[in-house]
Amino acid sequence: MPRKVKHRKQQRGRLSGVAKGGSAVTFGDYGIQALEPAWVTARQIEAARIAMTRHVKRGGKVWIRVFPDKPVTQKPAETRMGSGKGNPEHWVAVVKPGRILFELAGVDDELARAAMERAIQKLPMKARFVVRRDQEVEL
Amino acid sequence: MPGVVYGHGIDPLPVAVNGRALRAALSTDAGLNALLDLQVDGTSHLTLARELQRDPIRSLVTHVDFQIVRRDEVISADVPIALVGEPVQIHQGDGVVDQQMFTVAVHATPDRIPNAVEVDISELGIGQTIRVSDLPRSEGASFDADPEEAVVVGQPPQTEALPEDETGAAAEGGGSGAEPGGAG
Repeated sequence: MPRKVKHRKQQRGRLSGVAKGGSAVTFGDYGIQALEPAWVTARQIEAARIAMTRHVKRGGKVWIRVFPDKPVTQKPAETRMGSGKGNPEHWVAVVKPGRILFELAGVDDELARAAMERAIQKLPMKARFVVRRDQEVEL
Repeated sequence: MPGVVYGHGIDPLPVAVNGRALRAALSTDAGLNALLDLQVDGTSHLTLARELQRDPIRSLVTHVDFQIVRRDEVISADVPIALVGEPVQIHQGDGVVDQQMFTVAVHATPDRIPNAVEVDISELGIGQTIRVSDLPRSEGASFDADPEEAVVVGQPPQTEALPEDETGAAAEGGGSGAEPGGAG
């Protein structure tokens, strides 16, 4: 979550379209790519990171390519409608299809795939394991 | 596949190229820096593929920029950096080879642009850095990057993850407490 924000509450917005940037593996050798739009909470990001780093055990370097900077509000249970917007409860990252969520380097292909498959289980949308391919031309 | 041809004072020219032929031309040892002889309306242009636009999900190439070049002019091209050798010291110390630069801009005439810049990491140890100034230079080519910029770093092993109970507490703290410092 951010240390300081300009406005405590945000409007929800829309989740249409595909990722405008951040759709290529840039820092590491392997990545997790979102295939569906979703709000990913700070807890889900942290759970996925822990699942990945624990499976790798030693070695390896992880990059987190998304940041939960959108506050989500919620009204208390059994409250009548009205009286303004609810209180900020948690933080999410807005993720669109194609976005790279995590990157990993310093481990072999098999271990990276297994670790990232575990991390994908912690995420709220369909995602897949991808390998850096910036020098290849696919049609 | 749609593309555009530009350079050397001609008006940008939208073109359509055969996708399979383009893939074959860009899949040689020279990679994306291969010199392409493009025939447009009976005119031959010597070009370099400059920018490949890709589909964000499937990574398929959707558009190509071709820049017209001359054989005798110095141009700039991004050349991939290939790591060679086994970093024995890093493996023994459970460290990680952190490649921070994957391509380097090279100034040279089109025929002198190397296919790849090979970096030997067999002597790299934990805490050591290979910089742009350490890269092997090929004849007639120069690097267009800060000589002090790091290419590869031998990183120490990543710190252990927090134990189960501490992690849970951290997640609890992260989920709640939206206390903005200033509201405009």
